[in-house]
Amino acid sequence: MSIVRGFSAMRRPSFSVFLSTLIPGLGQFYIGQRARGVGILLTVLVAGLLVAWYGVWLWTVAPLVVWLWGIWDTTGEAPRSIFVPSAAILIMSYGIGWRVAKINFFALTQNLDRAAVVLGPMLRPDLVGARVERQRAFVTIEVPCSENPPSGQRTDAGLALGASAGCGQVGDEINVLGSGFWPNTESELWWEDAIGEKQHLLENGRIIVVETDAEGSFSKAIVIPQMRSGTGQEANLDQPLPERFAVIQERPIGGFEITKNGMRVLSGILETLSLALVATTLSLFGALPLGFLAARNLMDRSAASLAIYYGVRTVLSYLRSIEPIIMAIVFVVIVGLGPFAGMLAIMLHSVAALGKLYSEGIESIDPGPIEAVQATGAGWSEVVRYGVIPQAIPSFIAYTLYRWDINVRSSIIIGFVGGGGIGAWLFQWIILADYRAVGASFIAIVFVVMVLDYGSARLRERIV
Amino acid sequence: MNQIMLNVEHLCKVYPNGVQALDDVSFSISEGEFLVIVGLSGSGKSTLLRCINRLVEPTSGRIEWYGADILSFQAAELGLIRRQIGMIFQQFNLVKRSSVMTNVLAGRLGYVPPWVSLLGLWPKVERARALRALERLGLADKARSRADALSGGQQQRVGIARALMQEPKLILADEPVASLDPVLAHSILGHLEQLNREEHITILCSLHFLDLVHRYASRVIALKDGRLMFDGPAQDIDRARFKEIYGEEAVDVHATRVDA
Repeated sequence: MSIVRGFSAMRRPSFSVFLSTLIPGLGQFYIGQRARGVGILLTVLVAGLLVAWYGVWLWTVAPLVVWLWGIWDTTGEAPRSIFVPSAAILIMSYGIGWRVAKINFFALTQNLDRAAVVLGPMLRPDLVGARVERQRAFVTIEVPCSENPPSGQRTDAGLALGASAGCGQVGDEINVLGSGFWPNTESELWWEDAIGEKQHLLENGRIIVVETDAEGSFSKAIVIPQMRSGTGQEANLDQPLPERFAVIQERPIGGFEITKNGMRVLSGILETLSLALVATTLSLFGALPLGFLAARNLMDRSAASLAIYYGVRTVLSYLRSIEPIIMAIVFVVIVGLGPFAGMLAIMLHSVAALGKLYSEGIESIDPGPIEAVQATGAGWSEVVRYGVIPQAIPSFIAYTLYRWDINVRSSIIIGFVGGGGIGAWLFQWIILADYRAVGASFIAIVFVVMVLDYGSARLRERIV
Repeated sequence: MNQIMLNVEHLCKVYPNGVQALDDVSFSISEGEFLVIVGLSGSGKSTLLRCINRLVEPTSGRIEWYGADILSFQAAELGLIRRQIGMIFQQFNLVKRSSVMTNVLAGRLGYVPPWVSLLGLWPKVERARALRALERLGLADKARSRADALSGGQQQRVGIARALMQEPKLILADEPVASLDPVLAHSILGHLEQLNREEHITILCSLHFLDLVHRYASRVIALKDGRLMFDGPAQDIDRARFKEIYGEEAVDVHATRVDA
């Protein structure tokens, strides 16, 4: 009895206060609240290390608050509320998060002009345009001049172009005259090099557009641009090569048509949809068997089957934790750019995700019928066929539809790393700053995702 | 004296969570008996029934089926024993989304080869057998219905039809009327009694109501906390015994009598 009394007397608050002052959490450990003590120690240590790492000493307050609170906590009859230390740690984490994420809301308002450049074209999506006809004419200009330069005159199909010189240096100004073109029509002026690379002719950094007069003629002074880059052996700037000055005219002929980019959007979205469909369907072949092997209620019969269960579970969660976009990068390396790589990535991820979902569907079925079928003397496969599958089918269908829905979205993203579909186009258009085409793809994506969302939700409602 | 069918000796079951469901239970069943097990919920009735066809693995003890040690059997042999022992359940345990026909045919899984049943290629003989079983229970017109479209009493009769498909020597009935309206209890137990008399199928049935026990049982065993408390003819269970088995607070509730 006296030993017990002595022991409890030794556990007086002042001693635990002393211990907690020495090492955070030691006092709690001493009075038997071990988990709490370890928690306090770890919190103070981790918070302290974070402060040291980011080197902002103001935040030392947070671990200190936890430490002091830990001392105060040991003096009470019952454990005290953890509100204060939690708040201190939260505020500290918030401060660190703010700094790490480099949050700068002013950047959003400072760059409104840039936003306008991006968002403006997106509001005029390049999906449908007026139907137009085009005509084109060119004249050869040699750059730089050789001993025997071309004439600088050419007439073809009634379109006449004449240059003030048939050759010139990069940077020379030449006058061009055109006649026989469509009258009163805006015309684009282009320059092509000897291998067919072309670019708009510029004046003060802006694209030149000339309008023909009532007779279909125009004249313009242009500067020969530098097309060859000047690096590499083939780019010999001194070698005379035939380049071209070209004029392109377009005029509406009534009605509307899907633009070139519009067609790309359509074919891209179809490719994305079928990619997701094929990937989802193929993934069933892996996901269905794995789903059964990963269902605990089917696999708890023996040590061997439990080992399979844990093995399959581990592989599934490993695969599932790798995002399809990362798998796609790997597959692009293996099978090359294109939809096939994207399909493989989505398929593999779906096998893992669906396998898990199926196994959960199986685990949530009523065990009664399984018992009843077992009692008839049926073997494992027959129990699965007659006791499990009929019960699990609605959840299988629901999960598969849900997965297809997800796969369409992720196959859009997968195009960004070379996985084909609309994502591949979208990525190019973003890089080329063709925001009208980006706008068009957004319309297509939003439409498809909305239809899919609504459709698969309705379908699931009906089945389940 | 009828031949002894099942002999249970010193049966014990301890669940992994430490609950001792059965504690040294010994009894035997002869062919043709209608043996009723009584006892409170949790007294081990369900565990005992499930030990017999090894849906639950006993911890120790011995179960003999016509002298053969059931507990020593591996999967394949166990299937051959199980198919001779039909089972019906408190919750009927039909596959709700499957048709009545499919549920009844499932009772035949211990007989047909797996490739036949896995592909669903049930021979005509088996379909005819299933229809006869349903006819016998007055459900021939429900063969194509989904199981969950049936009432509770009808579902339990489908359960009996499924057990019949096994051509069983013994039917284990785990609280077959506990989930049904009392008025339906006599209908279900009447079917079991008929099978017992006409087909000489032995019945091992757990029940709750004393009046049902008196009406149907040829013999009664009682379990309390996993121990065998009583083994004898039904008429020996009087009020005093009943209180002993169910505890002092128990009230002798009667299932509504159809003929009353």
